[in-house]
Amino acid sequence: MAVLRGKGLGLEIALGERDFEEALAELQGKLGERPGFYSGAQATAALGRASPSEDQLARLRALLGDHGVVLEALSGEAHVGTLAVEQGLRYVADLDGGEELARRRALRPKRELQLSDAARSLAADFAGARTDIAVRRSRGESSVRRMTPVPEPAAAPAEAEPVAPATLYHVGTLRGGQALHNVGNIVVIGDVNPGAELIAGGDIAVFGSLRGVAHAGAQGDAGARVYAVDLAPTQLRIATLIAADAGSREGSKQPEAACVQNDRIMIVPLDRVGAAKKTKEKVD
Amino acid sequence: MFPLREPYDVAQPPVSAAPVKLGRAIVVTSGKGGVGKTTTTANLGTALAKRGVSVALVDADVGLRNLDILLGLESRIRYHLLDVLEEKVELDDALVRDKHTPNLYLLAAAQSREKEEVDTESMRDLIEELRERFEYVLIDCPAGIEMGFKNAVVGAQEAIVVCTPEVSAVRDVDRVVGLLGNAFAPKLIINRVRPHLVHKGKMLSVEDVNSILRLPLLGVIADEPDVIVSTNKGEPLALRSDSQAAAAYHAIAARVAGEDVPAPMVEYKETFMDKLGSLLGGRR
Amino acid sequence: MKARKIVLTSGKGGVGKTTATVNIGAALAKRGHRVILVDTDIGLRNLDLVLGLEKRIVFDLVEVIEGRCQVRQALIKDKRFESLAILPAAQTRNKDAITEDQMAGLIDELATMADYVLIDCPAGIEGGFRNAIAGADEAIVVTTPEVSAIRDADRVIGKLAEKNIPMRLIVNRIRPEMVRTGDMLSIDDVCEILSIELLGIIPDDEEIIDTTNRGEPLVLGEGYRLRSIYEKIVRRLEGDLIPFTNLDAPGFFGRLIGALKAG
Repeated sequence: MAVLRGKGLGLEIALGERDFEEALAELQGKLGERPGFYSGAQATAALGRASPSEDQLARLRALLGDHGVVLEALSGEAHVGTLAVEQGLRYVADLDGGEELARRRALRPKRELQLSDAARSLAADFAGARTDIAVRRSRGESSVRRMTPVPEPAAAPAEAEPVAPATLYHVGTLRGGQALHNVGNIVVIGDVNPGAELIAGGDIAVFGSLRGVAHAGAQGDAGARVYAVDLAPTQLRIATLIAADAGSREGSKQPEAACVQNDRIMIVPLDRVGAAKKTKEKVD
Repeated sequence: MFPLREPYDVAQPPVSAAPVKLGRAIVVTSGKGGVGKTTTTANLGTALAKRGVSVALVDADVGLRNLDILLGLESRIRYHLLDVLEEKVELDDALVRDKHTPNLYLLAAAQSREKEEVDTESMRDLIEELRERFEYVLIDCPAGIEMGFKNAVVGAQEAIVVCTPEVSAVRDVDRVVGLLGNAFAPKLIINRVRPHLVHKGKMLSVEDVNSILRLPLLGVIADEPDVIVSTNKGEPLALRSDSQAAAAYHAIAARVAGEDVPAPMVEYKETFMDKLGSLLGGRR
Repeated sequence: MKARKIVLTSGKGGVGKTTATVNIGAALAKRGHRVILVDTDIGLRNLDLVLGLEKRIVFDLVEVIEGRCQVRQALIKDKRFESLAILPAAQTRNKDAITEDQMAGLIDELATMADYVLIDCPAGIEGGFRNAIAGADEAIVVTTPEVSAIRDADRVIGKLAEKNIPMRLIVNRIRPEMVRTGDMLSIDDVCEILSIELLGIIPDDEEIIDTTNRGEPLVLGEGYRLRSIYEKIVRRLEGDLIPFTNLDAPGFFGRLIGALKAG
């Protein structure tokens, strides 16, 4: 593991897993490679389980000081907290390293969404590749997609839950020829005219007349639904099922929802649709 | 599976910095062909000019020009739109005065050229120049949503969309309204209504049409054989005083000019007229 | 034997191309031919609507050309006519989504699956028009007896002639009573100006408005006057020599001044 790397807005010095003197020597070499380059940076020393002596810490700070780098925090397991207070530094709970922690984390069930690579790359397209890269970086993955799936480092406890894809809100009437696509849900405050198209990975809700084409659960979620105040679509799709009315649906008298029951798309009055069963079954 | 699409970009009208009061540039469009755009441009222009304001009509249907025929001016065309855009002649040389109505001028399209030859920016400048000289500039838009449409729309600040009571026309007009967006404040004219068919349920009603388009209604014009006659003779209907359609055009002109005009005289049965009255009273 | 690839075009919009495409296609199918109708009006699709098939669209022409589905997946079979299918246009795209070569390739592929491929062309003479004629061997020019429509048809005929595409004419929405009073151009006038072979003369009739709105081709119903006219058009297309019937025959318009023809 490299002794010196970027972390957030500053530097991280990895001292936990190795001999202190060795690491310090390497650090000196690294800093010396590019004089002045790191000047002004703030650094966190990642100690993990190690307990360097006061003298060692002083030498570390001096070395950093020679190159204009300020040591402002220590990270590591619990004991490091005390050390940090003694040194007048900030304490950061261990973010990585520490065998015990890693072992415990590996045993913990994964809390991520079960998105396949293909779906995740689709999410990247929609949410913006930048967001995807940022998320990957924050987890310590490379920002270039690898072809073969690699087991990811477990998410850190300090990090928030992986963010579910956002709901796309559109205020206004969607006219023929216009389309809204979203990985998450789509909500339209207005009408959706014939010739308009809504494609959502999640649910679709229309606060008005839905007269165009609506495709909910487009990534395979058969539990997705389509809601509308006036449900009169040209065509309805949920996951891989398609339905179109034989006759023309005269404006329905009440708000309704479309959902999949027994492998068919059914339209149900809103007051009878019941709680969502979000089992995310794939329909093949 | 769902590639991101570039939003279909329609050029936005320029913000005028000139202190001079510029005329209103209104594009008459529909998407669908044969609904009466050119007829409306000719008749609305005539009706407006008869109120004493100066009006310039621009035929943007390069290659398929027809506005000159409707006005009976085809033999008087010496220079056309492209001649002006390419700076071969001055605008004044190309503008043709109307035979029947003073204050009304025509800038004809080229017949043997292509729409793709029109430079969008030059077109915008030309409309701006016309606005400096005329109180109204009406632009007759070609059918479709290709380059011809884009060039007709650039330079306009307002739009009048013409629709007939047919499902395919409503679809196309809806698409165009979506493309125009909010910047043009489009208003609707419903053309070629046959009240007896609406009454029998064999034709869409004004409500059917506007329940999808949801636009402020400028007027409703009945289908009359006189329209064909006037086209063939080159004398706009608005010149006559004995036709319902002519009266409708005059009422529309008054509304465009800002007057509060009650329901037009398209009537067959009392009930139909009442429907129109309430629709027009409610929307402006 | 490969299919005949016929484009229906006009220049002027709203003269009845799509309605003619649907009714000629349906009449051909009724006579047992395998027919595919292609809507090339990308962004302003209507063929599906006029046939009442808009609710069954899953894939469209652009998706076929982009390789996102097979042709067979995109074709929609009409339930009323055994051998009639349509390939719908895309609605949320623009005409620059495909090139002339791509269109020609697609039409050729369709020609291996049918006896007739009818191509519904958009209004105008821009890119959409050029794409539509790219795959055609023959053309039917549709016009109405109005000066503006004829002028536009003339322009289109010029462009088709440049490409050596053989063409025939349909004159739509003729009103015999107006021709008689001199308020409308006669067939002879029209043919003289356009000088191409006549394929059909269709009188203006209100029944078209209703059937189009309901998505039902005329040839479906028994009571429609225009049905026999479309059937004759189809037989002429097949090569028969059918005379144009007399509009003044009793049961049509009942007047006897002059002999006006339709059919």
